[in-house]
Parts: sequence; C-alpha cells; structure tokens
Amino acid sequence: MAQLAINNITKTFGDTSVLKGISLDIQDGEFVSLVGPSGCGKSTLLRIIAGLEEPSGGHIMIAGTDVTSTRASDRNLSMVFQSYALYPHLTVAENIAVPLRMRTMNATQRLPLIGRVMPGASDKAKEIAQAVQHAANVLEIDLLLDRKPGQLSGGQRQRVALGRALVREPAAFLLDEPLSNLDAKLRVQTRSEIAELHRRLNATFIYVTHDQVEAMTMSDRIAVMMGGEILQCAPPEVVYDDPDDIRVAEFIGSPKINILPVERTERDLFLFGQRLPLTAKLDAPALLQIGLRPEALRLTKTAPLMTGQVAHCENLGSEIFAQIALDEHTGRVVIKATPEERHKLSLGAKVGLGFAATDALVFGPKGKRLRDIEATACSVSEVA
Amino acid sequence: MTRDWWKHMVLILGAIIVLAPFYMMVSYSFKSPGEIDRGEGGFFGRQEMMVDERCVKLRDPNRDEIAAAAPHFPGKTDNEIRLALLAEAEADCSMRPIVFNYSKAFTEAPLLRYLLNGILVTGSIFLIQVVVALPAAYALAKLKFWGRDTVFALVLFCLLIPVHAIALPLYIMLAKLGLTNTYAALVVPWTISVFGIFLMRQFFMSVPDDLIDAARMDGLGEFAIVWRVMLPTAIPALLAFAIFSIVAHWNDYFWPRIVVTGNRDLFTPPLGLREFKGDGDGSFFGPMMATATVIVTPLIVAFLIAQRRFIEGITLSGMK
Amino acid sequence: MVTLDTSSRPVRRAASPTKRQARTAWGLTAPALTLMLLILLVPVAVAGLLSFTNYSLGNSGFDWVGIQNYERLFTRSTYAKMFIATFTYVVTVVPISVGLGLGAALVVNSMGRIGDIYKTIYFLPVMATLLAMAIAWEFMLHPSIGAVNRTLEMGCGTWLETLPFFAKGCADGFPLWLGDRDYAIWVICFIGIWQGFGFNMVLYLAGLTSVHRELYHAAEMDGAKTGWERFRLVTWPALGPTTVFVVTISCIRAFQVFDTIEAFWPQGGGPNKSAYVMMFAIFEKGIQQNLIGIGSAITMLFLVFVMFLTLIQRWLVERKVHYG
Repeated sequence: MAQLAINNITKTFGDTSVLKGISLDIQDGEFVSLVGPSGCGKSTLLRIIAGLEEPSGGHIMIAGTDVTSTRASDRNLSMVFQSYALYPHLTVAENIAVPLRMRTMNATQRLPLIGRVMPGASDKAKEIAQAVQHAANVLEIDLLLDRKPGQLSGGQRQRVALGRALVREPAAFLLDEPLSNLDAKLRVQTRSEIAELHRRLNATFIYVTHDQVEAMTMSDRIAVMMGGEILQCAPPEVVYDDPDDIRVAEFIGSPKINILPVERTERDLFLFGQRLPLTAKLDAPALLQIGLRPEALRLTKTAPLMTGQVAHCENLGSEIFAQIALDEHTGRVVIKATPEERHKLSLGAKVGLGFAATDALVFGPKGKRLRDIEATACSVSEVA
Repeated sequence: MTRDWWKHMVLILGAIIVLAPFYMMVSYSFKSPGEIDRGEGGFFGRQEMMVDERCVKLRDPNRDEIAAAAPHFPGKTDNEIRLALLAEAEADCSMRPIVFNYSKAFTEAPLLRYLLNGILVTGSIFLIQVVVALPAAYALAKLKFWGRDTVFALVLFCLLIPVHAIALPLYIMLAKLGLTNTYAALVVPWTISVFGIFLMRQFFMSVPDDLIDAARMDGLGEFAIVWRVMLPTAIPALLAFAIFSIVAHWNDYFWPRIVVTGNRDLFTPPLGLREFKGDGDGSFFGPMMATATVIVTPLIVAFLIAQRRFIEGITLSGMK
Repeated sequence: MVTLDTSSRPVRRAASPTKRQARTAWGLTAPALTLMLLILLVPVAVAGLLSFTNYSLGNSGFDWVGIQNYERLFTRSTYAKMFIATFTYVVTVVPISVGLGLGAALVVNSMGRIGDIYKTIYFLPVMATLLAMAIAWEFMLHPSIGAVNRTLEMGCGTWLETLPFFAKGCADGFPLWLGDRDYAIWVICFIGIWQGFGFNMVLYLAGLTSVHRELYHAAEMDGAKTGWERFRLVTWPALGPTTVFVVTISCIRAFQVFDTIEAFWPQGGGPNKSAYVMMFAIFEKGIQQNLIGIGSAITMLFLVFVMFLTLIQRWLVERKVHYG
C-alpha cells in the first residue's frame, strides 16, 4: 500500500498529444476513478502508471520513489484488464498463482516437472497454494479452481482476474474498465463487491471507466478527464453538485444536465427575457450559460421562468423524466417529476417551469464555472 | 531499428539462402554456355553474340546447294562457296544468349503447349472441384437430413487419405479403363476435394440461416440457392480455395509423371521441364533454366501482385 | 375457399418438407459421395487387396500370396534402406522446418512492416514449382561448376581452412553432394527445409495474430521479465493448436517427398539407395517395374503412417490444446 504521485505526465503519438500534462496525487488507500469519454486518454494514463507505456514527459512516484524509468514488472502494481487477460491454458488456480510464481520462484523452480524437485520449491509451492486458496475464498471462486478460463462465465472470469491481482500485496491496484464486458445486472452487483473489497483491503485503487455511474458509486474521488486533461478531481458529490467546468457537468449525471443561454445586463441575469433571481459581478461576460439538473427544475403555475409543452415522457416507476419543448427556445429540457405529478405531464400539455436560484450552475461562455454569482432574495415571491 | 540489427543480419542471411536458387535460375537463363561453364558474367552475363552450333550444322550446304549458289559467286571454287555459305549461316545463327536461351526453350520442346496443358488441367480441376464440393458443402452445413452425420464423418475420414498416397491403385484403375495418357487421367483423381467440402462447409456454417430462409421465401429452390445465394457469399473462401488448388496442381509433378508416359502432347509444365533435363546435354543449361523460369514465373508474379490473398489462401487450411 | 386452403396446406407441408429437404440434400451430396467412394475409398480397398497378391498390369490373373509382400518389406535390405531414408527425412525436416518457421515468425512478427519483406521472400519457395527449383539446386550443387562449391572454394586460403571440413575440401575437392552417399539424403533434407519452412512461418504468423496482446501486458504485470518467460507463459501455449497443425502437415508433406529425388536420380533413389523414400519406392516398384503387389503393400503402410499421424493430431487438438 502506498501513495502515488503523478507529476505533469505528457504523452504524444506522433503529432497528436494524448495527455497534456496530467498531475494527480493519490493518497494511500484511496479509491480514485479516472472517468471520461473514450479517447480522453484515461486508459493511456493508467498504462503509463502501470509502466506498460512510456510517458513523453513527467514523472510517476510510488511511495516517494520515482519509478518513471522502472519497468512494469518491477513497479509492484497489480492490474485487472478489460478483457481479463487470463492465460487460457492454465487453470483458475494456476492463473492466480502466476504472479507469485514469477516473483518468488527462480527459473529452475518454475521448470515443468523438474522444477518440483528443486530445493525449496515444495515449500514455496505450498505457500503459493495457500495464498491462492485465500484469494479464492475472498472472491468466492474456490469451487472453480480446477477449471480453465474457457469454461467460466464472464462474471467468473472477472473474479479470477481480480484474484490474480489481489493474491499478492501490490502498492496499488489498477483496474481498466473491468466491468465493461459484463451484462447490466452483473455490473451493478460486481460494482458493489469491488467497492467492498476496497474497504476491506484498504488498498489504493485506480479505476478507469467511461461509465459515470460506476465512478460515482465506487470512488472516494473522481478525476474527470477530457481531451487529455483532468478537468476536475473531487469527491463524487462535489463533482455532481459543484462542477468546475460545463463539460464535467454535462458528462456527470443522467439524464444530462440542461444547459440554457443567459444574458447579463448590469448585474442582472435574464433567461429568455425573464429576470432571474441571480446577480452577477459587473465584470462578468455578457453572454453566459446556465446549467440546471433535471431534479432542479420543477413544475409551477405561478410566475414560471419558462413555459413549454410536454414532448416525451419516460416513466421509471419511482420517478418520471419528461422532455419539455420550450416556447422560448428551440431546444428541449428534461425535468424529473414525482409519480404524483404524472397527470400534469400528458403529451402536449402546457407546463410552466421554475427553479431555485441556488440550484442554478452558471458557466462562462467558454464553459468555466462562475462562482461569484449570488442568489437574490426576491425568489421568495415566486414560491408563494 | 538499431536494436533490430541482429534480426536483420539473421533474416538477410536466410533470405540469401532462400533466394540463391532463384537468382541462379534466372541468371543462367540469361547466360551463354561458356559463361555458365566458367561461372562468369555476373547476373546478366555479357550478352555477347554467340553462334548456335546446331543451327549452323543444320545449314551445312550439300553439293546441290553449292551448285545452286554458284551463280552468285562467280569465279569461286566450290570450297570457297561452301565457306562463304557457312559464314552466312553463322551470321544468321548468331544471337544474344538471352534470345538464344528463351527461343530454344520454346522451340526445342513445345513449351507453349505444355503451358496451355497446365492451364487447362489446373483450370478444369478447380472448376470440377467447385461444382462437386459446393452443393455437398451446402447440404452438410444447412440442410437437415437423415444420415448427415454419417456423411460428414465420411468426409472427415477421407481427409486422412492423401491422393498421392493412393496413386498406385488409382493408376491401375485408370489403366484398366484405358484412360492413361489422356487429359481425363490428369484431372479425374482430383475432381473430388474433400478438403474443399470441409472448408466450404465450415464457411457455410457461419452464413446466417435467415439468408437461406429469405431466399426460400422468394421462391428459390435448393439448387438455385446453392448457385445464386451461397456461391456469391462464398467468394472470399472460394478465392482462397482457388489459390490453394491452383498452386498445388500447377506445381504437381508426381501424378502427371505417373499417368502420362511418352505422349508429349499431354505434358504439363513440370513434365516438360523434366523431359528437357532428360535429353539435354551440358550445353543446354541456359535454355533449360529459361524453361524453368518460364514455368515458375506465372505463380510467383501472381503471388507478388496479390500477396495477402495468396498467403491467406495457402494458410486457410491451418485456420479451421 | 380460404378456409380450405389454410386448413389443408399445413397438413401437406408438415409431411413433405423434411422429406423433400432430405431428398434434395442427398441429391446435392450424391456427386461428391460417388466420387469420394470411387476415387478415395475404392482405391484404398483395391490397394489393400492387391497387397496380398502378385498382380501385374497386363497379366490376366493373379495369385494370392498372403503376407509375403509385407514380409519382404520388413526383411529385404532395400526396404530397410527405404524406411531409413524416409524416417531420416521426416525426422530431420519436420523439427527443423517447424523450428525455423517458428523462429522466423517470431522475429518477423516483432519487426512490424519491414518484416513483410522477409515474409514475402521466405514464402517464395512455397509457390515455386518444386521440380524446377530442384533442377536449379542441382546446378547449384554441381561438383565443379556449381555455385555452392565455387563459394566454398573462396574460403580456401583463409582462416576457414583451419576447419576440418574446409581443410579436406581444399585439398581433395569439396563434396560431390548429390553423388555422395554420405551427403545425398542430407541435401534432400536441406531442400525440403528450404522449401517448407516459409509455409510454417506463415502459419505461425497467422497463429501469432490471434494471441491477445493484453496477455503480454498481463504477463509483464505478473512479473514475467524476460522475453523467454513471456514466450513460455503466453506465446507458446497460445500457439499450441498451430503447432499441432504445423507439425502434422509438415509430417505428411515430408512423407510424400518425391519430386526432388526423382529429379536428381531418376533411377534407383540416390547413391546406394540412400534417398530411396517411400513415395519413390511406390513409383519405382509399382509403376516402373509393374510389381503391383509390393507397391500396394508400401502404399498401405504409407497410409497407415499418415492416418496415424492425423489421428494423433485430431486427438491432441480435441483433448489438450483446445480451450474453447
């Protein structure tokens, strides 16, 4: 277990720059997710941390030691691959034993047949067998130890891959989209199991995923990556409630956050000509964007800030997501409603929408979050 | 690159050994007998004019010819006329070694005929193989019928029998039918390609049933489905099989050697080359290598043009 | 009308489609089955029967001679030479051409695009007419004007002469190669390897593309530091099915060696019958000398070897190397 420091890592392939100077400190025992759309460089970053790829610039430190030029097998890291990368000719037990055999036995002890009679081999073999059994018990795959990977289901293979990673005590666990090959139901289950495993082992986890739900549910901190940069690295609730960047706000959260244009006149902000209960600094840009989560929008008849027609409705049982085609704007907004409001949301029905000023996230024209926006007290009148 | 230098050293050494006989074959086909004997002239030889002794000998004038030519050489003795005629013949018979070698290759033996035979035999073998194997492969892959498993087991068993190995009984059977020394003898044993059936069956297994059902809905009969639906979808596999089949039979020497004896009209290219070797003396190295070059070239050129397809075709057998 | 149609049709259809399909299926397979029977199975039976006779083409009848033909195969020195030559060839050519093929594939595969040039070159002998190339090799190996001995002679007078082979060659002349009974079979083996290893290389290259790249990364993470360890842990097991196939097909091809031997020694199978392989024996005894009985016996033995090999291959593929 150790803490990990990523220092100004860059990576270029020919002319294209994949990572543009990434820095990230990961504490001992922390679970950090690297999340972002495909092609954002998150897997490349993980492989650079693992040592499978060389960075073009920057440093990787593990427990205070610079390992940038250390090869992968000497970094003492474990990795779970997207395809699991199990050795197809070895049984589950043998697969899990490989990292221990490679590290603790010498070349002659590993020889087939003869290896067993080499001095010290049988003791080591016993130790390894115990460690394998222990890992298998933890993951509840002890009944599968004699099978070959070809005979296992996707979820079982995934556990074997985990077992191979945790059979020894590495400085950190690296997981590269380990759930992407599982079906939806299994993914939810395994998600919580990995999170529990993390709590139990209290080890450092770096988890790469494109699925924001996985990142939200498992991590201590989420690093949202886009275009080779980390846009924000913060705990899940902060990333959700208080994003630094419009791209973070758009990537995290499902359904997607609603983005609407706002104009500033003096200190007042106007949405489609309506004054919002928000005040901005005088030096703020004249054209701004406002982000509203679906749950921030609510149906209202009194002094609505926007009006529109119900264009589409998705009833999930416990909640309803409705798409509203706005009268003032070409786009649609998505709102979250309770089942009790179902009757108000018949297709084509006219609705008015309002929101609390504190829930509105204001972004500059280039997408940076503007934090010096204040809610004004006049919003009270609209509640009544 | 710098790390790979030792790999290149080893691979280049290998390449030299692999290419040496090709180099020599082509080089000898350019050179005069003298140059071959003395081992000089580099790759192309010096291409000095050389005299074809046989050609001159054939034109050695007899008494009548000398008498006939006498008016053209007034006041010369017979012997002088003869020498003059010989000199003329020598001038006519001299040519560059490369021209000599390749023209001899085509005139000493009917090489063109051999090549046509080769094309005819390989072509008909492939066509009949497809006509026989494709419907069978389709039936085995896509039709349910009683006895299908037995038929397929039979196919698997027959895969064990190399046709070359049973050449002797095949030869006896053909001889009993009086078919030796015919085109039929060259083609018949190869008309059934168990490997082709197996290969196409594996390919058809991956064709979705929906496609066939759709064709049936459109009113196509099974026979029409084979040729109008399955054949077009099987083009990539067929192409690979074509390469496999054509390379094997163009280069085959064993079987033609057995069933064609003496009748030059039926010779395939390898047999023609063998014949050349059998009756050629040392001075015919050049023309013989020219013949060899001509025989080897078509496949090599085709291979160099469509490398990927060829390698796929040849290795196809290893994939299944 | 409509109701009649719908009620009567399914009844007729239920009975006929399966039958009709079966009839079509048999129709489609009939030509192949007939030919398979006549061209592959009947000859095997014929060879089996004739191997117990003294039949000759042109004779009206024949006598049953029991196992006399097989007895001869295992007692006469000619056939002992035949077995020795055949097995020497197979045992030499198969491991070396498979090993070289694997080695070349691994090296070529590690080089990226430049490797393709070597791939093309090494594959050329596979495409070339073996008979033509055999004749080219015969010239190369010509004792006096061949390129091989000329090249070796260049080594005379240099440090190479300290080697016993060169010392002897420079003093008494280099080997006759094809005319020397100590060298003849090895030359044949060499040409067999020369012709076949490119084929094995290409098969291995195809096998290598199916090795999952992430497995190498996993091996690296698991602590496999040397190339050899990664080869043992990932490459070699993944190439298992390819290896089984390559070895089998190399064996079968090696058993069938004929073109080179017939081209070099149309009579007799090499100096002192040192290259008298089975295919040549079948050709010489059965076709040229019209001793059909003994030829058939060799044919049967040959089939047994080849089938045995293929069955081992199938067993291996199904039992051990197939991971599904």
